[in-house]
Amino acid sequence: MPLLAVEDLSTAFDTEGGRVTVVDQVSFEIDAGETLGLVGESGCGKSVTALSIMGLLPKPAGRTVGGSISFRGEDLGAVPVERLQQVRGNRIAMIFQEPMTALNPVQRVGRQLAEAYTLHAPGASADEAKGRALELLDQVGIPAAERRLTEYPHQLSGGMRQRVMIAMALASRPDLLIADEPTTALDVTIQAQILELLRDLQRETGMAILFITHDLGVIAELCSRVVVMYAGRIAEQASATALFANPRHPYTQGLLRSIPRLEGEPKTVLSTIPGTVPDIGDLPTGCRFANRCPHVEDVCRQRAPVLEEAAEAHRVACHRWRAVEAA
Amino acid sequence: MTSYFIRRFLLIVPTFIGVTILVFAVTRLVPGGPIERMLQEAAMAGADVAASTSGFAGHGASSLSDDQIDQLKAYYGFDKPVIVGYAEWLGKVVRLDLGTSTRYSEPVWDTIKDRFPISIFYGVTTLILTYSVCIPLGIVKAIRHKTTFDNLTSAVVFFGYAIPGYVVAIALLTVFAGNLGWFPLSGFVSDDFDDLGTLGKIGDVAYHAVLPLIAYLAGSFAVTTMLMKNSLMDNLAAEYVRTAIAKGMAFRRAVFAHAFRNSLVPIATSFGNNITLIVTGSFLIEQIFNIDGFGLLGWESLVERDYPVVMGILVISSLLFMIGNILSDICVALVDPRVKFGSGEASQ
Ligand SMILES: Nc1ncnc2c1ncn2[C@@H]1O[C@H](COP(=O)(O)OP(=O)(O)OP(=O)(O)O)[C@@H](O)[C@H]1O
Ligand SMILES: [Mg+2]
Repeated sequence: MPLLAVEDLSTAFDTEGGRVTVVDQVSFEIDAGETLGLVGESGCGKSVTALSIMGLLPKPAGRTVGGSISFRGEDLGAVPVERLQQVRGNRIAMIFQEPMTALNPVQRVGRQLAEAYTLHAPGASADEAKGRALELLDQVGIPAAERRLTEYPHQLSGGMRQRVMIAMALASRPDLLIADEPTTALDVTIQAQILELLRDLQRETGMAILFITHDLGVIAELCSRVVVMYAGRIAEQASATALFANPRHPYTQGLLRSIPRLEGEPKTVLSTIPGTVPDIGDLPTGCRFANRCPHVEDVCRQRAPVLEEAAEAHRVACHRWRAVEAA
Repeated sequence: MTSYFIRRFLLIVPTFIGVTILVFAVTRLVPGGPIERMLQEAAMAGADVAASTSGFAGHGASSLSDDQIDQLKAYYGFDKPVIVGYAEWLGKVVRLDLGTSTRYSEPVWDTIKDRFPISIFYGVTTLILTYSVCIPLGIVKAIRHKTTFDNLTSAVVFFGYAIPGYVVAIALLTVFAGNLGWFPLSGFVSDDFDDLGTLGKIGDVAYHAVLPLIAYLAGSFAVTTMLMKNSLMDNLAAEYVRTAIAKGMAFRRAVFAHAFRNSLVPIATSFGNNITLIVTGSFLIEQIFNIDGFGLLGWESLVERDYPVVMGILVISSLLFMIGNILSDICVALVDPRVKFGSGEASQ
């Protein structure tokens, strides 16, 4: 049994222009201890997927309208909210893109850390909680932990804050960490440190990670398997090695071509994918990538492709994947 | 924190000097010359003003005697150069010698001092009632946004806000004091106040205060309640609340453990404004209920051209405004740790 199984998940928002389905029949699984990358450009529904898993969709506009999310076999969509509270932060933890705003500005770091622990260890004494907070800060590589506990978030740098967020997420030794673009708001050297930290922590704790990013380079460093999303749907799903060696979806191919490479010819023009993502409120009936796809044919505009097994554990949603491969 | 506190209080001194220069300038530099001229003009215009305000204090039109004018001149030091005059006057002000009321022929400070207990009673009570009702109400409205409860209370609160306080006062007076006779028509206490026991005294003050307090509160409820509601709603949507829920906290608990304190920041900021209500009061409400507070004193002194009292009130209320601002800054600093640190954060 996988640790987390997301099956046909659809999530919609009620907006003034009516209901828009921003995540459409998304399925993937995460096994214990593995790192799954979820990649796609801005607005494709990565965060909404993560928030759906956590049951943290903004209410009342957002809701899951189809599919199921089961964690260790338990359908999280069907359990009462009290049960969800036991899972959140305890078995599944989450860290966010903006460490600046994700911490409470008027509460000391120590208190926020201790709270993450005591919420799931109700009997714990204040001393135990403080001890655990110190241990956690140490674990995420924050020096002078004792002093940091008494500081407020604004006294920490962005990288420090993200480390604090990670420490909070680790408080109850979760089975799954959902990291929603945890390095996007940080500068490059700090990004590398945080990725390094996450990798080390995973090795130490054996937790699984759902790593969300729009940066394929990060995926290559961290993930064993990858899900590529485009406009709310899964475009391709494969092991990281297979995806980089043999991308099958034209969108994935475009993404890979747009990464600068050291070994490439210097000063060549980076290729970009022409055109723009269709408006999420006004999606075409056929393939959502059709308007930007170099391999487009009539069938692509008429019918939406379904995920097909192109190779062992390598699935692609493209009518023309055979032709694309041959080309 | 302490150094912040001290810095803020030290700032009172230069600010107060600035204010007194302005007040002094009013006596000296008003176009057309010194106070004498002002007084003459006032005396000439007196007749019409008095006519338009007849029905209250009555003897408004009387011009000032030469004696009183000499007294004023001496007090403001007209026989001396401006700087010397100002310095001497400031020295008197600091010693609470604010001159002599032309109307009561007693020291201005005594006149003002008598009104303090009444104004402070109404001010503080209004303040306490406002916060103890508006904050919980705002919280419930934020949590139950767009429910019947929210809509209904909004309607009530805005109804009170839309009607000016003095209209509420007149309406209350007519219905509950006049027609129904449940409450006294006017005054701060009954005539036999001194004969009452302690409990009786408290009851008597409360009995007299009900209607004026409602009139005071009707207007201030809307602002504070909606401020609290909107501020809390903003914070409920904040990412750190989502973080708290992601940690496994129940939403209701996150409201109080996380969002509440953040949402108090704007409330704390407005605290200074509200606290100055204590001094300014509302002359119309005081007038209607015949309460001898600060507002009424200021109004009457203006109409009666009791300039020493007007100036005295100006000086004292600007001082109180400054203290109110500092208290408000201190409240903000207590709620928001970001204010205490860094340098030069004094909020001007
Ligand atoms: N509260 C909301 N109300 C309405 N639509 C929303 C809301 N939140 C997100 N959406 C829409 O859902 C879609 C997916 O958003 P999502 O935040 O999941 O994108 P993302 O893939 O995480 O992008 P990014 O890389 O920029 O974080 C977007 O088109 C967005 O406009
Ligand atoms: Mg996102």
